[in-house]
Amino acid sequence: MSDLTSTTTTSAKRNTLSLDGWAVIVALLLALAVRFNVLKNIPW
Amino acid sequence: MATSISLSRARSDSPLVNALSVVPGVLLLAGIGYAGKVLEHSVNAYAKAHHWTFPNIEYVLWAILIGLVISNTLAIPRIFHAGIATYEFWLKIGIVLLGARFVLADVLKLGGISLCLVVIEITLSLALMTLLGRLFKLKPKLTSLLAMGSAICGVSAIIAAKGAIDADDEDASFAMAAILALGALALFTFPAVAHGLHMNDVSYGLWAGLGVDNTAEATAAGALYSDAAGKVAVLAKTTRNAMIGFVVLAYAIYWAGRGQAEAVTNRAAFLWRKFPKFVLGFLLMSLLVGFHAFSKPQIASLGNLSKWAFLLTFAGVGLRTNFREMSKQGLRPFVVGALGEVLIACLTLGLVVGANRIWGL
Repeated sequence: MSDLTSTTTTSAKRNTLSLDGWAVIVALLLALAVRFNVLKNIPW
Repeated sequence: MATSISLSRARSDSPLVNALSVVPGVLLLAGIGYAGKVLEHSVNAYAKAHHWTFPNIEYVLWAILIGLVISNTLAIPRIFHAGIATYEFWLKIGIVLLGARFVLADVLKLGGISLCLVVIEITLSLALMTLLGRLFKLKPKLTSLLAMGSAICGVSAIIAAKGAIDADDEDASFAMAAILALGALALFTFPAVAHGLHMNDVSYGLWAGLGVDNTAEATAAGALYSDAAGKVAVLAKTTRNAMIGFVVLAYAIYWAGRGQAEAVTNRAAFLWRKFPKFVLGFLLMSLLVGFHAFSKPQIASLGNLSKWAFLLTFAGVGLRTNFREMSKQGLRPFVVGALGEVLIACLTLGLVVGANRIWGL
C-alpha cells in the first residue's frame, strides 16, 4: 500500500504541468516546426 | 466537470496508455470537424449549381450541429470519451497559434480597448448576477460561481473558483450546466442579432468575446460571423480570461473572511496558479511575429494550423452539449443564468456600440 501511495505521489508530482502549460508547449513546438520548415505550406 | 457534461478520462500510470486512450475520441473530433468543412463546400457548391438562394453555413456551424445531433441522439461509446475531453486542449493550442495572425500593435490597440470594456463588463456582470442570485434566493456560493462564470470565462472560471471558495460539487455542476446551456444558445442568437444590426466584424467580435462566457463558444460564435470577427472575439475573450486570477482571488478572500473557505496565504502564487498560461503563449506568438521570426507563408501556415485546432474544438463543443442531461440540473439556476446572460448581452452590446462611437472600431 505504501509503495502504491508513494508511486502515486511521485507520479502526481511529475505531472504538475497544467493543460494550459502543455497546450502552450505543443503550440510552440508546432511554431518551431513551421519556422524551421519541418512543417510547411499547411493547407486549409 | 459536471456529471452532465463531463466525459470521463481514462487514467493509467502509463503515459503511453493515456496517450493511446485519447486517439479514438480525437479521430472522432477530426472526422466531425472535417465533415463540417466538406459539408460547407458541398452544400454551397450544390446551392450555387442549382441557383438556389441559400445562406452560407460555415463549417463551424456544421461541425457543432453534427456534434449536437450525435450527443443528443446516440449514446457515445466510452472509448471516445477521453479523446472528446481533449477539445479544450485543441482550443488553447489554436488560441496560441492564432497569436501569429496578430501584429503586436493590433493586440495593444484592440487589447487596450478590450481591457477597458472587460473591466466594465466584469464589474457589471458580477454585480448583476449577485443581485439576481439574491432575488431568486440561490445559495450564496452558487451565486458566486454563476457570477464568476458569467463575468469571466464560463466553465474554467467555475472550476478555478470551486476549490478556492470551497463550493459544493453540486453547486459547481448547476453553475456549469447553466453557463454551457446558455453558451450553446448564444451560438445561434449572437450572429442572428448581429446580422440584424449590420454590425461590422470588429464590433461583433468584441461583443462575442465580451458577451459569450465559455472560451470555446465565444471562439465559435465569432467564427460563425466571419474569420475577422473570430480573431477579434478570441482577443477579447483572452483579455477577459486574463482577469480570472484577480476575480477568483477576490472571491477567495471574501469567503475566507467569512470563515467558509481556506485563507489565501501567498497571493502572488495564487494569481500565477490561476492565470491562464495560454494568454502568455498568445502574446509570445504575436511578439515573435512582430520581430519578424516568421515569413509570410509561415504565418499563413500557423494561421491554418490554428484553424485545424479550432475545428476539433468546434466538434467537441457540439459533442459535449447534451440538453437532456443539462435539464436534469434544475430550472432556477438556469433562469437566473438566462436572465443575467440576456442582460449582460444587452449591456455588452451597448458597451461595444459606445466604444465604436468613441474609437471608431
